[in-house]
Amino acid sequence: MSEMTTKPRLEDPVQLAVVSNRLRAIVRKMSNTLYRTGRSGVLNTARDFSCAIISPEDELLMAADSLPIHVLSGPDLMSRAMRGFHPELRAGDAFLHNSPYHGNSHPADHSLLIPVVDDDGTHRFTVLVKAHQADCGNSLPTTYMGGAVDVYNEGALIFPVVRVQTDYEDHDDIVRMCEARIRVPEQWRGDYLAMVGAGRIGERELLALGDEIGFDALARYGAAWLDYSEQRMADAIAKLPAGSAAASATHDATAGAPEGIPVTAVVAVDPVARVVEVDLRDNPDTYPCGLNLSEACSRTAAMIGVFNSVPDSVPTNAGSLRRVRVHLREGCVVGIPRHPTSTSVATTNVADRVTSSVQRAIAAIGDGLGMAEPGPFGAPSAAVISGRDRRDDDAPFVNQIFLMLTGGAGGPYNDGWLTICHAGNGGMLFVDSVEVDELNFPILVREQRIEPDTEGAGEFRGAPSARVEYGPLVGDLRLVYASDGHINPAAGVRGGRGGAASDQHLRRADGALEQLAGQGEAELGEGETIVVRTAAGGGYGAPEARAPERVAHDVREGWVSAERAREVYRVALAADGTVDRQATDALRGEQR
Amino acid sequence: MNFAIDTGGTFTDLVVDTGDALHLFKALTVPEDPVAGVIDVLGVAAEGLGLSREEMLGRGELLIHGTTHAINALVTGTTARTAFLSTGGHPDVLLFREGGRANPFDFSVPYPDPLVPRELTWEVPERIAADGTVVEALDEDLLRARLAELAAQEVEAVGVALLWAMVNPAHELRVGELLEEELPGVPYTLSHQLNPILREYRRASSTCIDASLKPRMTSYFGRLERRIGEIGFNGRVLIVTSQGGMLDAADVARMPIHSINSGPAMAPVAGRFYAREDTGRRTAIIADTGGTTFDVSLVRDGRIPRTTETWLGPQYQGHITGFPSVDVTSVGAGGGSIASVDAGGLLTVGPQSAGSSPGPACYGRGGERATVTDASAVLGYLDPDYFLGGAMELDLAAARAAIEADVAEPLGLPVEEAAAAVMRIATENMVHAIEEITVNQGIDPRDAVLVGGGGAAGLNLGAIAARLDCSEVIIPPTTAALSAAGALMSDLGAEFAATSVTSTADFDAAGIDAVLAGLTARCREFAGRSRTSGEPRIEYSFDGRYPRQNWDLETPLRNCELGDPGAVEELASGFHEMHQRVFAISEPDAPVHVTTWRARVSCPLGDVSDRPVAGSAAAAPRGVRQVYFQQGGRQEATVAEVDSLRPGERVEGPAVLESPYTTVVVDPGTTAVRTDRGTLLLTIGDGGQR
Repeated sequence: MSEMTTKPRLEDPVQLAVVSNRLRAIVRKMSNTLYRTGRSGVLNTARDFSCAIISPEDELLMAADSLPIHVLSGPDLMSRAMRGFHPELRAGDAFLHNSPYHGNSHPADHSLLIPVVDDDGTHRFTVLVKAHQADCGNSLPTTYMGGAVDVYNEGALIFPVVRVQTDYEDHDDIVRMCEARIRVPEQWRGDYLAMVGAGRIGERELLALGDEIGFDALARYGAAWLDYSEQRMADAIAKLPAGSAAASATHDATAGAPEGIPVTAVVAVDPVARVVEVDLRDNPDTYPCGLNLSEACSRTAAMIGVFNSVPDSVPTNAGSLRRVRVHLREGCVVGIPRHPTSTSVATTNVADRVTSSVQRAIAAIGDGLGMAEPGPFGAPSAAVISGRDRRDDDAPFVNQIFLMLTGGAGGPYNDGWLTICHAGNGGMLFVDSVEVDELNFPILVREQRIEPDTEGAGEFRGAPSARVEYGPLVGDLRLVYASDGHINPAAGVRGGRGGAASDQHLRRADGALEQLAGQGEAELGEGETIVVRTAAGGGYGAPEARAPERVAHDVREGWVSAERAREVYRVALAADGTVDRQATDALRGEQR
Repeated sequence: MNFAIDTGGTFTDLVVDTGDALHLFKALTVPEDPVAGVIDVLGVAAEGLGLSREEMLGRGELLIHGTTHAINALVTGTTARTAFLSTGGHPDVLLFREGGRANPFDFSVPYPDPLVPRELTWEVPERIAADGTVVEALDEDLLRARLAELAAQEVEAVGVALLWAMVNPAHELRVGELLEEELPGVPYTLSHQLNPILREYRRASSTCIDASLKPRMTSYFGRLERRIGEIGFNGRVLIVTSQGGMLDAADVARMPIHSINSGPAMAPVAGRFYAREDTGRRTAIIADTGGTTFDVSLVRDGRIPRTTETWLGPQYQGHITGFPSVDVTSVGAGGGSIASVDAGGLLTVGPQSAGSSPGPACYGRGGERATVTDASAVLGYLDPDYFLGGAMELDLAAARAAIEADVAEPLGLPVEEAAAAVMRIATENMVHAIEEITVNQGIDPRDAVLVGGGGAAGLNLGAIAARLDCSEVIIPPTTAALSAAGALMSDLGAEFAATSVTSTADFDAAGIDAVLAGLTARCREFAGRSRTSGEPRIEYSFDGRYPRQNWDLETPLRNCELGDPGAVEELASGFHEMHQRVFAISEPDAPVHVTTWRARVSCPLGDVSDRPVAGSAAAAPRGVRQVYFQQGGRQEATVAEVDSLRPGERVEGPAVLESPYTTVVVDPGTTAVRTDRGTLLLTIGDGGQR
């Protein structure tokens, strides 16, 4: 079309920028396809999915806009498993993969791997589409089976890199197996179709890019992109102080782990070798429950804690990951699980405790580093809901909703990000629109607001809890959830306070409130609601060091009460809400 | 006679179509009263056309107006003090937003403040469910008490966005009535009237942005219509919308959110035309340099890209407008951008601007700070006696003094080198803005032609092209008023939509035909009000989705007589094809749900593309001047009037080509050619980056 197309030159920073942005644009286009065409709310509203491009050497090249816990490590392991099981890859192939024993995160994340093969039959890239399913055929209607003693009890169909398409056509028997096991099969089928669409779009665009630039040149740019990213990470680590520290956190008691699940991360920063090492080997063996981590999630959870603590915004791909070494042990709860250990909840609860331990350990290494602990995950504002929709001929429904989850941790520069969701998510998830949820499901959301005085106080405070109340509009509603943070709320660092614990009650039709367990199921009848308090994030630094104007702002905006401002932050406010300097100085002086 | 007026931060541009030629005029913008700038430029035009103002305006049929007034108010935080009324239990709609974050590992970006603070948010005791039934009746007594609190807060505008108001507007309408009783005269916006879409955050955000603009924009459009009416214009006043369409001024005054991107939305229309006519290219970067901002837009493969989601500020950090818009990136870099040296000895240029008042030091209007325009004067790019065709004399001594004091002295540089450094930094800022929009979208700027817009574009567009490795630059004859020219080249258009849900499984042909007939009637009514030459064209489309999908795909509707045999099947197959093309999959056996029906009417304004652009009356003789260039320093450069060049004539750099409103700097090594159409085509030499 254009007469001016220039041949690519290596060591050409403009062309490298263009190519890396093209790869990013391709991943975004894949994501947009999945978001726009998915059928379940998990995909088309919450966006609980990821898309990535992997090199033929199993290196993660690009995963823009993806959930961190889905992609830092995992794409590499899955690509390796694909090549191991299927040495001959052909254009038109597609593989369905959800096995946590072969690189996938957890069974509810269905991954589709599509090898991108050029006209000469050479495998050039692999595109990955990973999407959390509304249902995956577990023995209970939830995708987070905290109580599963093993993979058999869990019940999901496991697909260890199973060829689901040849020559761009489905193997219908595989599709039929899923339809026979997964609840609301037409919803699954629609989501599967959307994943195929996203993957084929990625394939089409990569083939076009290869035709335009040349596949060999493209591969060289890919390698240069990884080298550039590694250099950026090395430079960032070089700026950190040398040191080593450990931090521990405990997941709340749960079936199969009555004492809770303690996690310890040992972090060593070596600015000379420009490497960060995380050791997770000194942790308990796996438990007879669904909270064990898959290998992908163990590695990734540790890496997230490191990337959260690197001040510069370094590209996250196989290049920068060369500078992070994670040591794992087979058979460990935060290591490499052996079949048939259940990893049903691997992407969230214990993984978040690993991430927060890593970033708290880094905070212990030096001021201005690391972060506090975000609010633990799993409040029933994001429960898996199911029932029958009386508005639609009693059609069955099952889906995870994502009403408010707050809980961002305080950091060295800023207050906690309000809608962080959980540590492994990094705030990437979209929050459900109340209207969309009420349209799709027979529910009514009565209240959704932040709850004052719940934040982990600090020089930079954690995000507060949200108060969320909802219930069925008509008919009954079943909820399944596995929430952490009731017994062990988020911890602060460097003098910062902890965040408020999570909590939930059932409100009977007469208004009476009944306490509900942290993990489990609830059946709500018409007129009944669940009242949820999400876990708040921990604070960074001492509250009495917080800038008084920030405290005044929090009070004016109703995040913090004037009493708490005085007692915890040691800030006095005048009648008009502005800082009373003299009284504040006196309060803070007497503190010292 | 048609007028197109584009009000920028520094200049108000006017293009007059007299039927046989396009005439360009400029006047300074009057920031405290932008209507005055409009009146001024109409006066300049009347004089230029040798008519009395009344006589000229009396012949006027259309006056199309683009303005940056709304976006300026939003950017500078000078919108009205606005309250938000939300459904009880849901005060944090604007705080929670829809989640999402640009980069999960970047904790240097703080969580954004809500568009309206919680302090100015009140809950309305009411609740409506998804099907429109009232779950909780509106408690009017309690609401009145809350409105009294709100009144005590001296609120200047109110946005009302209640859950499910677009399905059942009863409560919003009643809140509106109570607002008129309790806060008489305070403008308000009801969400279901402005933007009746599903999803409470975007609807509420639209609503509160719109309300916050109302006091200022209603008064602005009212004054504009009244004052141009007083001086003799009795034609139709149309406002350019963010989507690149036009709406009657009275309609935009009621919904001022549509004027947010009114300023730059039309530049790509003109850019596309000249890129195609003068270079045959279908991919172009339009760089519109004003006095205050540098606006970059694209033409990609002959199409002008639109964003489906528009944010004020960055995505997930700014505020969503809830409406689509022409894709434009703006940075604070223009002729008025102020140059200064910070405490660490670092030279910065912009984003602060001297605007039109006080303006650059060389304008002699009280400005003392050094600007890009001052640097251009010092370098010899601008002829002090020929600025705006001689209408305004530049004070070269003041320019030198400002550059000396603000840049040369702190940096310890000779004054010309300091001026060249200012130009270089300005160029870098502009290059960065272009990279934002092109490279980030995967477009290689090397494959595009750079189209200059704005009087100051020619000063450094060659240097920008060299930095980006673009080989071609064009400066159209309407460059000084590119957005205004684009407005005259585009069709007069409007889009109407109606929501009526149906499915191909159980198609309500009669009902939908009635909906489409209603849309057609609105299109014809719109077209009937415009005295345009050509036949209006109406195009129909629908927003469809497969069952359980959550987002719609707009698909053209080829046959809109849905009662015809086979018409519904044709609609369905059109959707399956579209879905296959856009998303690589389709489900031909599945029914198609349709939610929204659209009709777009366009009325050709008459083809102005072959109108010559009226030149300057007397072409000045060709000469030479001492000009300072980055390469080679001070040297003798050819100086010529653009209109004195014959079509096809080549001028080798170093040269400066002038027209009343534009100065084009041709660097050493670069060649300029004038095309038949009057466009200057620059071919960038190898003296640049490579």
